[in-house]
Amino acid sequence: MKLTRRHFLQNAGIAAAAVATWKIPKGVMAASPVPAGTVATTGGLPGSLGAKEVPSVCEMCFWRCPIVGKVKDGKIVKIEGNPKSPTNGHRVCARGNSGIQLIYDPDRLKYPMKRVGARGEGKWARISWNEALDEITHNIKKVRDKYGPSSLAMFDHGASAEFYREIFKGLGTENYSNEPAFFQCMGAVSLAYLVTYGYKIAERVDMANAKAMVFFGTHLGENIHLSHVREYIAGLQNRAKLVVVDPRFSAPAGKADLWLPIRPGTDTALLLAWINYVIQNGLYDKDFVQRNCEGFDELKEAVKGYSLGWAARICDLKLDDIRRGIEMLAASRPHVTVHPGRHSAWYGRGDVQRHRAMAILTALFGAVGVPGGLYFPTPFNLEESDCLECEEPEDVEEPETSIKEKYPFTGYFGSPTAEIIKATRTGEPYPVKLWGICGVNILQTIPNPYETMEAIKKLDFIFSIEILPTEPAIWSDIILPEANYLERYDRVYANHDLTPYVTVRQPVMKPMFEAKPPFWIAKELAKRLDLDCFTCEREEEYLDEQLEAMGLSLAKLNKEGGLVTLKGNPYRDPGKAIKVDTESGKIELFSSAFDDEDMDPIPKFEPTPAPPKGYARLVYGRVPMHTFSRTMNNLWLSNECPEGKLWLNDEVAKKMGVKDGDEVIIENQDAYRSNPVKLMVTPGIRHDIVYLPHGFGSRSPLLTKTYKHGASDQFLITRYEQDPFFGGSSHRTDFVRLIKDGKTLDVPELRPIPSEIPRFEIKMAS
Amino acid sequence: MNQYAMVIDLDRCVGCHACALACRAEWNIPVPYHRNWVRELGPDKTPEGLSFTFFPGLCNHCDHPVCVDVCPADPVEKEFRDPKTGKSMKMTVKATFKDPFSGIVLIDKERCLGCGACVEACPYGARYLNENLDDPKADKCTFCVERLEHGEVPACVKSCIVDARIFGNLSDKNSEVYRLVYKKGAKRLTSKEVDIGPNVYYIGKKKDLYLLSERCTPHERTWEEVRAPGRRDLLLAALKHVRSNV
Repeated sequence: MKLTRRHFLQNAGIAAAAVATWKIPKGVMAASPVPAGTVATTGGLPGSLGAKEVPSVCEMCFWRCPIVGKVKDGKIVKIEGNPKSPTNGHRVCARGNSGIQLIYDPDRLKYPMKRVGARGEGKWARISWNEALDEITHNIKKVRDKYGPSSLAMFDHGASAEFYREIFKGLGTENYSNEPAFFQCMGAVSLAYLVTYGYKIAERVDMANAKAMVFFGTHLGENIHLSHVREYIAGLQNRAKLVVVDPRFSAPAGKADLWLPIRPGTDTALLLAWINYVIQNGLYDKDFVQRNCEGFDELKEAVKGYSLGWAARICDLKLDDIRRGIEMLAASRPHVTVHPGRHSAWYGRGDVQRHRAMAILTALFGAVGVPGGLYFPTPFNLEESDCLECEEPEDVEEPETSIKEKYPFTGYFGSPTAEIIKATRTGEPYPVKLWGICGVNILQTIPNPYETMEAIKKLDFIFSIEILPTEPAIWSDIILPEANYLERYDRVYANHDLTPYVTVRQPVMKPMFEAKPPFWIAKELAKRLDLDCFTCEREEEYLDEQLEAMGLSLAKLNKEGGLVTLKGNPYRDPGKAIKVDTESGKIELFSSAFDDEDMDPIPKFEPTPAPPKGYARLVYGRVPMHTFSRTMNNLWLSNECPEGKLWLNDEVAKKMGVKDGDEVIIENQDAYRSNPVKLMVTPGIRHDIVYLPHGFGSRSPLLTKTYKHGASDQFLITRYEQDPFFGGSSHRTDFVRLIKDGKTLDVPELRPIPSEIPRFEIKMAS
Repeated sequence: MNQYAMVIDLDRCVGCHACALACRAEWNIPVPYHRNWVRELGPDKTPEGLSFTFFPGLCNHCDHPVCVDVCPADPVEKEFRDPKTGKSMKMTVKATFKDPFSGIVLIDKERCLGCGACVEACPYGARYLNENLDDPKADKCTFCVERLEHGEVPACVKSCIVDARIFGNLSDKNSEVYRLVYKKGAKRLTSKEVDIGPNVYYIGKKKDLYLLSERCTPHERTWEEVRAPGRRDLLLAALKHVRSNV
């Protein structure tokens, strides 16, 4: 046992006699350098005081808050918010504060590496950048020549992906950008608001000025979209009412005036009943609807059968509560935030229509272009730089059957990830033989990771560009180590929020080890692949080009503290009709775009199957200290939250004979099992779901702090349904029971399921 | 005399841990120790309804700091200066003491024996001793006194993403903390058994304050154990012995 002062103290009483025998090795008591935790006085001033501040942009998550990197004696000592930012100011969240640990993560990828063992085995040899880039180029050309360009597919996310996506576009594949961020996350909400309002970003909600807000599953605070969290809290401080519709008592439910613990999969029923109630009781903004909306009469007719009483039964809610909820919201119109949500890939079928219903309710309240409602982005000029764009080749032979064919609204978002994986596994509609991966952990993101691993085994070649040795990196043939966000330039960032601003990511320090910035990697790949892009010499060239239209340059921007704000124009003129970019030029309550494709032009309620007997629905979410599955290996963040707990309803737990803190294994309907996980027994969750924070239980042994830590929700999501509009994959259509001490425990069903809702039937795999 | 204090608004707090990490980053606090922490509370039932709230904690810079009482270091005379008025005064203090001009409880790292008595004494668990070091010193929140001296707010206050931490001088009747404590009834974590005048206060919904108080108020008089008869002498004898053997 190591002798410590603590033991010394604890044993002081009994140790009196033993003192004489203690032997302290020489040198132990000698003066040591200032221990961590005392005032570090480098640069003369304590802590981060007196540091040089380099303005940049965070990428610990995709929200991209403006930051400053604080540098002392050439070392980055701290990250703070950029005080010039109108959204976060000097603030950054837990993850933003922990960016430093991403730089110095001992598990970080240091050199280009080549697989030497079997694929997925995790055996590597260090190679040179030249060898790595040549090998990638060689394989891309080989696969393209043999199977055609569309056999190349790129899975991407984040700032780096914007560079490599262009390379794949230049190669002529229709699968150049397959963003799990759309197909696994915000596809449904994006499409719903696009067809209703004509602009794609649905998240411009003016919560700070709202008089009432409603969240459907949105758990702001547990997911830190920093500006949104600030605005939502500002709204509450301004005494806005808050209604939270969520089967779980989420962090915002804790701050809400009304929590509606809805039966999963019935949100659209509630929304349609609310829409009907608003119309029948004249609680909508008649003037706004008449002036700006298309299809009100059709809507009125289509929803007339949905009563609050019906919804109460379907949604398993109290009639009085849902009436109170809608009255609370309607009373505040038009200053109402119906939060559109973000992660909307819940049940596959019905997801788009759920968000369509939210978009319609927003319009009925007239909550568009007014304080507290959806607001308009303020457009401003930012030049695109030719240097950053690869042209799609003209002479490419297109595949006979497109991978996107089944889904009328997918073109806009890239190719459905589920279709790429299917094509790779089956060769239909054509073979996909090479994958590039950047910035996304496809195994911890895309449903049925077992199928994804099967697909990877069938590839001719797979490479990834990564910072850490994630699961997809482990499965790659070549790994390229990338500079992280503190070590590189990216593009100019234009933010069109209430107070718009322009800022830029720039290096706070040089890349560690042999890591390279994405621009350099893309340039080297373009050169080798004979593509006419990434031609400028240095990042500063394209940044100046992008900024020029605003009368700015990188140097000028930096003189302004790295960020320039503009005057926003978010609200409408109440006396005038608004112009929106839909087919009719009006807000489409009745969607002509959907009607043209024989999809329901007005949402209908389509139930998602209820859990089979003995099972609960698996629902997941976020913890504020982590981003997806990508920060779990961060020393500081893993210390704050090393693994998630499984939430279980208290009455259900009692019936099952389990208690808070018990360790269980989760088993899904296909008999896949999780790592052991601790139970959190709480009254704050419905009886028919369990809830697990997302992103834990890494399967990469090279991520030493998170490997096998906690249970992975994703590895239990083996069954999914695809959305009929754009082919997104569902994430809340899997069911689980628990195993404790080797004994399988059924989850009791405490409340009846209405006959309109079918029950999921477990079919054993054939 | 002044007393710096902090009021934490649970209506604003979303439990994001930015405060804990900003503190760690500012002072390079080694994992797994902390000067500043957040604990999730609930969701659980309270008489006022379901609550899901947080316990953002740090040193309370108590009016009667029991950590100071148990420090076995020999008292020496120390001169204190008020950075605002320039006034100075002399006081006899041990290795940990309460600054008479700010009310902040501090540790003199040069004089700390690293015995850990104060760590055990604190009923709030606000102190730690890094046992991985050869010559550990007790450590804890200083209200970022070093930053205050340079006109900056504490690191946790600066990073709080929703401005839930209100910091100031409780002796100043015009301060926001004074208003929140004396006019708005901000609560602190005290019990019949442990009532040593903490200077971190909480405001929020009744149900959240109920859960916080139920779960996080100390009841154990942790310092009494540390001050057991003869313990200090025993400790000093042991230390003397250890030193003489080096």
